Amino acid sequence: MSETALRSPASAKGAAPQRSRTPGPRQGPLAGVRVTDFCWMGVGACATRLLADFGAEVIRIEDRQRLEMPRRLPIYKGEARTYGEEDANPDPNKGGLFNNYNRNKLGVTINMRTAKGRELADRLIASSSVVTENFAPGVMERWGLTYAHLKSLRPDVIYARMSGFGHSGPHADFRSYGPVVQAVCGISHISGLPGREPSGWGLSYMDNEAAFFNAAALLMAIYHRNNTGEGAEIDVSAVEAGIALLGPILLDVSVNGRSTRGDDFPTGNRLEHPNAAPHGVYPCLGDDRWIAIAVFNDDEWRALVAAMGDPSWAAEPRFATQAGRCAAQDELDAHVGAWTAGHDRHALMHRLQAVGVAAGAVQTTEDTIDHDPQIAGRGLFFEMDHPVIGEALFEGTPIQFSRTVQENWRSAPLLGEDNAYVCKSLLGMSDSEYEALVEEGVL
Amino acid sequence: MQAQRRTDLPHPLAGLTVVELAEDPGGEFSGALLAEVGAKVIKVEPPGGAPTRQVGPFAKGEVGPETSLNFWYYNAGKLSVTIDLGGPEAPPPLLALLARADIFICTLQPKALRALGLDLERLSRDFPRLIVVSVTAFGLTGPWADYKSSDLVALAAGGPLNSCGYDDHSIPPIRPGGNQGYHSVASFAHIGVMLALLERQKTGLGQLLDISMHEACAVNVELANPYWFYPRVQVKRQTCRHAQPSPTQPALFQCADGRFVYFTLITTEQKAWQALVGWLDQEGLAAHLTEPEFSDAKHRQDHFSEIQEVVECFFLVHPSDQMYKQGQAAGLPIGVLNAPEDLFSDEHLAARGFFVEVEHEDLGKVTYPGAICRFSSFGEVARTRAPKLGEHTLAVLAETSNTEEDVA
Repeated sequence: MSETALRSPASAKGAAPQRSRTPGPRQGPLAGVRVTDFCWMGVGACATRLLADFGAEVIRIEDRQRLEMPRRLPIYKGEARTYGEEDANPDPNKGGLFNNYNRNKLGVTINMRTAKGRELADRLIASSSVVTENFAPGVMERWGLTYAHLKSLRPDVIYARMSGFGHSGPHADFRSYGPVVQAVCGISHISGLPGREPSGWGLSYMDNEAAFFNAAALLMAIYHRNNTGEGAEIDVSAVEAGIALLGPILLDVSVNGRSTRGDDFPTGNRLEHPNAAPHGVYPCLGDDRWIAIAVFNDDEWRALVAAMGDPSWAAEPRFATQAGRCAAQDELDAHVGAWTAGHDRHALMHRLQAVGVAAGAVQTTEDTIDHDPQIAGRGLFFEMDHPVIGEALFEGTPIQFSRTVQENWRSAPLLGEDNAYVCKSLLGMSDSEYEALVEEGVL
Repeated sequence: MQAQRRTDLPHPLAGLTVVELAEDPGGEFSGALLAEVGAKVIKVEPPGGAPTRQVGPFAKGEVGPETSLNFWYYNAGKLSVTIDLGGPEAPPPLLALLARADIFICTLQPKALRALGLDLERLSRDFPRLIVVSVTAFGLTGPWADYKSSDLVALAAGGPLNSCGYDDHSIPPIRPGGNQGYHSVASFAHIGVMLALLERQKTGLGQLLDISMHEACAVNVELANPYWFYPRVQVKRQTCRHAQPSPTQPALFQCADGRFVYFTLITTEQKAWQALVGWLDQEGLAAHLTEPEFSDAKHRQDHFSEIQEVVECFFLVHPSDQMYKQGQAAGLPIGVLNAPEDLFSDEHLAARGFFVEVEHEDLGKVTYPGAICRFSSFGEVARTRAPKLGEHTLAVLAETSNTEEDVA
């Protein structure tokens, strides 16, 4: 589509002239929607990033005394550290994870432990039409920010509450983060080799997925309000979202009484349904390099055999049908793996795809971000400048719109960067009132 | 929050019609997410049925197009209309459906579109209010646009797979279960549709959305992207915990019943440490961790393996459910690794009424996951089973021709 460039003005890497960091009117379907955003960490910030990308004026509320983890986590340019290795005295404006999650948003600092801070938040909410949060249940209530109170400030408010377990039920107060959600909802258990501990997930997949569902829920509520004038309180439990992602195995259990705790489940990289074989991840040239190959029918099998150079083992009758190949997967995988081991994963992927076999190199982020021609051609990753970090890459939205614009106007806000703009320009505060709040430590 | 489920309020997408031509779970889940919030989703199938009807597992093991649990899962609440899609021209009944639709979901890759005579850009021009949502393996453009994919291949090429597997790297990366590559792209289709509907509220115009599973996976790797954007380091997979630039301690603990809990043993935070030792002590198993020297973080770091051993033993002699609830009561973020069958009796999910019962004529009530999002102002759509092949062909096509006559 020729409209590709419309998607993100900053998508031409490093080339796009950037506007000043001063906020202004936005483009996109959410232009005119102001969000008072109490979200933090991964789930909340990732959800409201989608609103900010598409025109909403998302105002992040932060606490100077309690910097959130993405600001403290030392994911810095030029310094490699593991998640647990914290920086004792972090520069709150240097963290890459915060930049990644908070582009296109405004940032203000409000001390919500002070009465004046809470009063300021009320003023901001009254001038907004959406409020978002993903604290542990009870935090917003402690500040008086119930749905009833928000409605008294703004009758058609949308109040999105994102949590691990939802805002009702006996476990509503349980503490969670991605891996805990993944454990409880079952998607860790269904991942791994049979007869071993689960391999589960090597990332907080449910932080992202819960964020996507929360973003969609917000968009649905805004759409409904545009039609009817009515707001909503939204309750999304990440655990429940995770259960909805278990897939057909859940019905195998509920309909057929299937046990997933036997020795035949989970199935690693093999597929139970449909009966595909070979279906696995096989070694390639290099250290820890792999290729995924998935053969779903006899035509694809014949193409694979030809690509392998018609080895004699492949002519054995037991490999002649899908059912036979499935039954003999141990031997089949050994043969296929011995062949792939001598090949470059990318060259092999293209060679197999050229003959109609589904194959994909197991790509690292170096591959997808720096070298993948399919991704590069569609401009998924883009660059923006940041006053402390400098030029940085961002992950875009994997949707090419022919009409809707994703306006990337600014990297993440510095701590309190928009305090003056929000207080004076948006809320109409006088200079002296603003200075007093700064002096009293409210901002 | 009023968590009771109500069906007497309006639905957010009520009145919208979706036509879905989907051959894989990515497109089908996209349609299902819209049906879940009240859209009328018409699934167009060839006379022989969508290929997803052939995919197991099957209800009671009976193989057939009406018993695929794979099909049931992704197509609940939709209508089925059969239309002959033989090509080379777009069939008039499909065009008649699209003329009245708000959204068209299509999973066909460029070559398959051409073979059937479907031109999505042209459809977008011919039906200016229509939101055309292409949900494909690699997108409609680019050198890989016609490459074949699958859930495993998508997770591999897009990047998530590189982070998943075991500490032992002689074992290949292991695919996380449940079709998550397809679910990732469906999540973005849902978001894309909503953004396009909001755009249409402003401009009155639809558009063409080109959504790639490959790209959806590439942005769904969490920390692995910023670890490359900033320090330019690669993460390495570890057993059931975050892939990291360098190894971290195991986080799975086996319990007395053989089940596992996920717990990250962090000794550097004083509050979490006190909560852990208090809990162990309350059960009489804190061993020497109550000694004063262990209140010093440096000492704890130096004696980490001793601590790990005490904690391992503690979990090993208690049932997993007790560990989960007691640990949470102590304020520690700990999770039991539930199997799907455990969820139906979970007290929390029961109290929230999460699961729903869907009537199937032959089987009676079948338990499905309930709606993902709860809204105070919207009712929940009463769930119905996936349609039988062509179950609504006559009714839907009659509706279409009636309207055309009305218009004429």
